[in-house]
Amino acid sequence: MTSRELMHRSEVAVSVELETPNMTLNIGPQHPSTHGVLRLIATVDGERITSLEPVIGYMHRGYEKLAEVRTYAQITTLVNRIDWVSGFANEVPFILGVERLMKVEAPERAQWIRLILSELFRISSHLVFMSSYPLELGATTPLMYVLREREYILELIEGLTGGRFHPNFNRVGGIKPNYGGGSQSKKQSMDLPAGFFKSTIEAMDRMNKICDDIDILVTGNELFKARTVDIGVIPAEKALEFGLSGPNLRASGIAYDLRKIENYLPYDQLDFNVISRPGGDCFDRYMVRLEEIRESVKIVRQAIDIIPSGPLQAKVPRILKVPRGQVYSRAENPKGEFGYYIVSEGGKMPYRLKIRSTSFSNLSILSWVLKDQLIPDLVAIMGSLDFVLGDVDR
Amino acid sequence: MSDQPDTDQAAESPTSEPTPLEVFAADVTERLGCLSYDVEFDTVRVFVDKDKWVDTINEARTELPFFSWLSAIDWSKDYEVGEGVADPDSLEERFEVICRLSSVTNGDGVNFVTVLPRENPTIGSLTESIGGAEWHEREAHEMFGIMFEGHNNLIPLYLPDDFIGNPLLKSFPLIAREVKPWPGEVDVEGLPETDDEEDES
Repeated sequence: MTSRELMHRSEVAVSVELETPNMTLNIGPQHPSTHGVLRLIATVDGERITSLEPVIGYMHRGYEKLAEVRTYAQITTLVNRIDWVSGFANEVPFILGVERLMKVEAPERAQWIRLILSELFRISSHLVFMSSYPLELGATTPLMYVLREREYILELIEGLTGGRFHPNFNRVGGIKPNYGGGSQSKKQSMDLPAGFFKSTIEAMDRMNKICDDIDILVTGNELFKARTVDIGVIPAEKALEFGLSGPNLRASGIAYDLRKIENYLPYDQLDFNVISRPGGDCFDRYMVRLEEIRESVKIVRQAIDIIPSGPLQAKVPRILKVPRGQVYSRAENPKGEFGYYIVSEGGKMPYRLKIRSTSFSNLSILSWVLKDQLIPDLVAIMGSLDFVLGDVDR
Repeated sequence: MSDQPDTDQAAESPTSEPTPLEVFAADVTERLGCLSYDVEFDTVRVFVDKDKWVDTINEARTELPFFSWLSAIDWSKDYEVGEGVADPDSLEERFEVICRLSSVTNGDGVNFVTVLPRENPTIGSLTESIGGAEWHEREAHEMFGIMFEGHNNLIPLYLPDDFIGNPLLKSFPLIAREVKPWPGEVDVEGLPETDDEEDES
């Protein structure tokens, strides 16, 4: 090769685009934005993700196996901890399923209390998203503002159930009995604490206020929009294929809300809207949750007006023996469709309990949605799916 | 038909007018060419031939587009923990693979069920048409040992790579129970009557 040719070649080499060979990038399992312990093995070409393999199971506690050695009353304690941000909402479909198998129905007042608590947990769960999501995108201010407001909801929950996160408040045929409160109240179930309605209405006013604040702080923020609008678009047919539900599915234009189509708890007596948006991007998923807080506030206010007085517990035997049968019971968890497939063989414990946890399906789309996205968008997209690793790993 | 569990004969014998759910279940069964159906506690089960599994599910998705979950049940006579079946003598040992699809515009939903033998359970994978089935099938594979043909990433999902056994099999012991046996009634919530009076006396 002559020197002239060499010079020519080196010029060519400089002018062509540099190849960035595939590099494997490991993210997690311990990572601040993973909401738990999640490992991602990404193959990247420069800044672009060519393939991504989520590794889950670091928090697998084997609830489905454990449920086979627990009595029905004990399982409510377990299921509280599946999605710890919305503990009560996990109990509801399980207890409704057992009630369907046993052909008992909780008294009306107990059903309304269940409904109010479900909605309080929905607000609480969405507020966790509202505080953590902007943080993941670099906005630190909303975190403390929103978590402070969430305390008002948690205080309501604590005043009513005694627990902040894991109320374990449901019983088959009613709600938690208030034993040990002196001879007068032995046979009575725990009713709403004094001043509950008043403090709830106050808290609901605060929630509307914080929604407006979030709107000002986050929604209109140009940087926030640049990071979320048209990022991580999930079309409706893909969302259905991966079993996405809740706000993630509604942000893809499908108004699928079990509170409207599944006949459970007295939601049919209330006036509220199912929020859906057509875009399917991170911004829409955020907006759906923000609007849903306002809808939940509407629901709680109406429920407080409607809630009848009456007993809190239907008659059930002390040792629960559930008749033989199979039932799939589902409810709208803050994150989407949460269901239990209960197989009873007539004993005190279920023969098999399949837990259809919401985040498991919601997260399963991760490899698909992150393919060909940029590394800086990874956290934005992942965070917008609003998953809890306890709910993924069960 | 011999594979069917004994519960559906009872449910299928028409004693009164069919409920709307039964009409729906019968309609789905006939249109998709499935074996039989069964409705109990508002839960529709449609039994599918295992060779037609993938085709049936794909066809059903045109009207029930929401892929909810896929899992299995181990119907087995011997069990290590918990409680066994009600009458083990008449039990036909088998796996039931269940895939639930539902509608997003109304409350319709069907649990499609197919029956697999307990030895070498193998079934076609849904992953080609339903991306979401990948994790569910991996879970069913590690928990029950069911093989999904055509699944190209059938590695453990939750369990460590070197884990031996299929934990959700009825014959799989629960180590916590082996180490510390079930205390029985001690754990059950005490009767209100026994709470204070007895302590004070």
